[in-house]
Amino acid sequence: MSRWLRSGWLRERVLGPNPRHGAIAIALLLLLLVVLIWPLLEVLAAGFLRSDGGFTSEYLRLVLANPVVTRGLLKATLIASATTLLALGLALPLAVISTRFEFSGRALLSSLLLVPMVLPPFVGAIGMRLLLGRFGTLTQLLGAGAGRGVDWLGTLRVYGVVGVEALALYPVIFLTLRAALAHVDPLLERAAANLGATRWTVFRRVTFPLVRPGLFAGCTLVFIWSFTELGTPLMFHVYDVTSVQVFTQIVEVENPLPYALVVVMLVGSSALYVVGKVLFGRHIRAAGSKSATASAPHVLRGVPALFARAPLVLVLALALLPHLSVLLTSVSATGAWYRSLVPREFTAAHYLSALQDDLIMPAASHGPLQLGAVGNSIVYAGTATALGVVMASGISLIVVRSRVPWRGLLDVLSVLPLAVPGLVMAFGYLSISVQCRRWLGDATPAWLDVQRFPVVLLVVAYATRRLPYVVRSAVAGLQQVPEDYERAAANLGASPARVVWRIVLPLVFASLLAGALMAFVFAMLEVSDSLILAQSARYFPITRAIWELSQRLGDGLYVASALGVWAMVLLTLTLVLAGTLLGKRLGAMFRP
Amino acid sequence: MLRLYACLAAFVGVLVAPFLLQGWFRERSLERPEETGEVLELRIITPHNQDIRRVFEPAFSDWHRSHFGRGVAITYLSPGGTNDIVRYLRDLYGTYRDAQGKLLPEEQVNSGIELVWGGGDYAFERDFKPFLKPMLLSPGVLAAAFPRADLAGVALFDPEAVAGSAGPRWVGVVLSSFGLVYAPDFYAALRLPPPDSWSDLARPELSGLLALADPTRSGSAAVSYMMVLQRAMESAERGWLREHPELGYSEAQLELRPADERLPSYQEALARGWKEGMRTLLLMAANARYFADSGSRPCVDVGDAEAAAGVAIDFFARVFQDQIGKRRITYRAPRGATAITPDPIGVLYGTRGERELLANRFVEFLLSPDGQRLWNLEAGRSPYIARSLRRMPVRRDVYVDRSGWADDENPFETAQGFNLRQRWMRQLGRLVPIWGAAWIDGKPELDRAYAAVLAVRDPERRERLRQRLSDVPIELSELMRPAGAAAAGQEDARLRTARERMDWSERFRSHYLRVLQAATEAD
Repeated sequence: MSRWLRSGWLRERVLGPNPRHGAIAIALLLLLLVVLIWPLLEVLAAGFLRSDGGFTSEYLRLVLANPVVTRGLLKATLIASATTLLALGLALPLAVISTRFEFSGRALLSSLLLVPMVLPPFVGAIGMRLLLGRFGTLTQLLGAGAGRGVDWLGTLRVYGVVGVEALALYPVIFLTLRAALAHVDPLLERAAANLGATRWTVFRRVTFPLVRPGLFAGCTLVFIWSFTELGTPLMFHVYDVTSVQVFTQIVEVENPLPYALVVVMLVGSSALYVVGKVLFGRHIRAAGSKSATASAPHVLRGVPALFARAPLVLVLALALLPHLSVLLTSVSATGAWYRSLVPREFTAAHYLSALQDDLIMPAASHGPLQLGAVGNSIVYAGTATALGVVMASGISLIVVRSRVPWRGLLDVLSVLPLAVPGLVMAFGYLSISVQCRRWLGDATPAWLDVQRFPVVLLVVAYATRRLPYVVRSAVAGLQQVPEDYERAAANLGASPARVVWRIVLPLVFASLLAGALMAFVFAMLEVSDSLILAQSARYFPITRAIWELSQRLGDGLYVASALGVWAMVLLTLTLVLAGTLLGKRLGAMFRP
Repeated sequence: MLRLYACLAAFVGVLVAPFLLQGWFRERSLERPEETGEVLELRIITPHNQDIRRVFEPAFSDWHRSHFGRGVAITYLSPGGTNDIVRYLRDLYGTYRDAQGKLLPEEQVNSGIELVWGGGDYAFERDFKPFLKPMLLSPGVLAAAFPRADLAGVALFDPEAVAGSAGPRWVGVVLSSFGLVYAPDFYAALRLPPPDSWSDLARPELSGLLALADPTRSGSAAVSYMMVLQRAMESAERGWLREHPELGYSEAQLELRPADERLPSYQEALARGWKEGMRTLLLMAANARYFADSGSRPCVDVGDAEAAAGVAIDFFARVFQDQIGKRRITYRAPRGATAITPDPIGVLYGTRGERELLANRFVEFLLSPDGQRLWNLEAGRSPYIARSLRRMPVRRDVYVDRSGWADDENPFETAQGFNLRQRWMRQLGRLVPIWGAAWIDGKPELDRAYAAVLAVRDPERRERLRQRLSDVPIELSELMRPAGAAAAGQEDARLRTARERMDWSERFRSHYLRVLQAATEAD
């Protein structure tokens, strides 16, 4: 009897009241353990295992005692804090203007404000180099092109990092704030106004507290993103921050310090995430209930409309500078943008070179299975997105609809990739491939061997890294769907699978699709996995191809820019599609 | 809804545009005929850039077809630079070791890669050699390619094979030299004379204007800094020889008797020369704008006038010069202070049977006169060359007829006699992490100290402080001392490596901070 009770108690604790949900949850958990936890453990093990395989905490102790490393951590924290504050300063007024006012061009400008998110990192570096070069455009504009010029990228590097990151990441806070503002009950604001409160007082005492959870969610995400960001510090040659220290040292043979440093990064990012979730997670749901009546935006015309448009246009102009530079580089003759405001000579030759380059678009003679970088990226990102959608659908169903006792663990694991540097995950997958060869030898299947066929690991890496966006989008969508519809369908005799297929999925389709589009965008821009796992030119995705081209002497940077422009246009359209589908709810996928 | 459909149509249009346009714009002249019949496969791991890879794959395939009836498709693996390849191979062969750490018999090893190509002779000798096997070249190939085994004392193929005991584990297939690049435009604006020696890169006027590569990331950069060091050591050695004419050495003599090398005065002279080289390097590091992660980056920075000068490999500089002109970038080999070294290829352990045969044929093709000329032919002189590689062949006899070449030079005539000594190169393995600690980890403190020194108004005091800054807190004897506990196997080697790096960082940072304090004190 006690044994039966115990087993029933266990079944309740593990599977919950619905064994079917419990089984799905267990399957998802196992999948996440394989694709997320296993690569992490591989990397973490390197930080705690000696040469003889024994455990040691000495590496961690050395890292924390190393002033170079602690300085890197401090600098990374300061950069992340400054980036978050600046991004907040940019995003807050933009979100208020775009939700509370209606004026001509608002919708277009609001969509364009998201475009900074679609710039491939290396190509952005190329653009900023020429813009902020010692004798580049900014120096020429200021008339300081004589003598030593102005070394913007040398002396103001840290400020450059903060500025570029803030301009790239403000859309995250903008989206979460916009979504939060859309959920504020206008009756509360009207009531306060009726009691005599000024607009500023209403904003400060009513609106801001209600949007604070969404605001902090976005800020947490930006902070973690900036803290673990690799591309921008590399671009500005700031090498004494944690992410770059990990990157530069992790390729050194026999150096265990970077792995121990990764442990510190992971603990810091994860702690920040948990604190944000615990402090503001409950409030997000409380503030997220949609008001019965929508707040009608205040219509502006004439001069007031101009004043409303001005901040959007100004921020947009600043944020699109790297994109513009990349575009100009792609049409500049080789070496023609030198000590001048714009290139002295223009050409379309680099686009033609890109179309004829075997790395990007291989000739038909190479066979149908050689897709080139463009085809590879579309296949990898598309497959990863499909895989992510399937996983996210399951996770969101369990997290939102089920009573599995440990569903919160699934929720946490699904967004953990946000806190993990891409480089760490990439080396984790590489280590898995090496381990499999060690265990299986010649029997290692090709799909587990990055040398022979890295596609599977690349797709899994992309899907895992972008899973948080699809999950958050799916969860937000599912939270909007009343359970009553599903109960009604079940009461009419529909099986659980039929309810999901005929009721739930159609209602959350827009959210799922928007999340999928965002995951597709970010998968196309994935850098770390591409650099580490795609080692054969045949399997290079776009980001790796851009890196290769940028190493090519002569016109490599220009052809890379041409490829970057194509990627930017495609991904901009993807963002616009996602925005059209989700509207203000697009911000929900950036909530941790 | 209309907006949604419009967005969707635009998205699909942009997605398929490259595939639709490719057929229209692809140059028919560059279309290779579709491979018919069986095509063999060869896998090569290499840090070489795309230009080099794209030349030799079709060239070798056509050569192999004409000689043996079948084409070859080459798959290149590019995990990154030389250090990345070292790590990759160590990980890979780590799966084929027994309990004692020895490599398993070859028939149990299947690395999946046949060749490692490029990375410099130092990397091949020190890092790749444990993973290489003796080549099985056809009789006479080696002798025809290398009538002499060295160029100015630098081995052109595996030194252990010279005695004829076994096939070489690596052979050089192309030459490289290291030198200075500078921007004449920029130098004119700075009113500086063109640089002519390594020490010209240490002058204070170049503060923040020097482009250097990180030696822990770029093997070629590490070798180039080693040249600076060895040049200084050799100068000190020659000075010592002049002071000791009774020993009977001539100026041209490079090898000393072992007994003379053990003389305390000789060791002291070498140590002084070594210290002088390290001083020059530290001042160069102080002038560095930053340390790039690849050896080609200094050329880009100098060409774009982000830096006024830098250290670069010859062919990088030549290709850039072709593209943007001599006024923006010019290459100079410091006279008597640079070595010409081979860039090798080797067959990987575990390559057997047909694959081993094919791998050796690739090596033979690279060493053939036709293969050698591909390194320097002008664009369009060969159907394989869309862009000249601007590299110098390793085979002496091809220099007789240089028609159609991009560079009319013969390194076998211009080699100056300065050479990289292999026994001095052994210290490089320990030096690289020290350089990393001194220049990379300590760069912020170095920059602050140097800025404070250069801000001192009194020229004599400024020069004294500059000398003090460059007086590196390490001696050659310390470097050559064997590692302590780890040598006895008592300490975890990785822990020792980590601790050493930290200790070096701390030592150099403290040194810079002491100089900073001295510079900011009032006179």
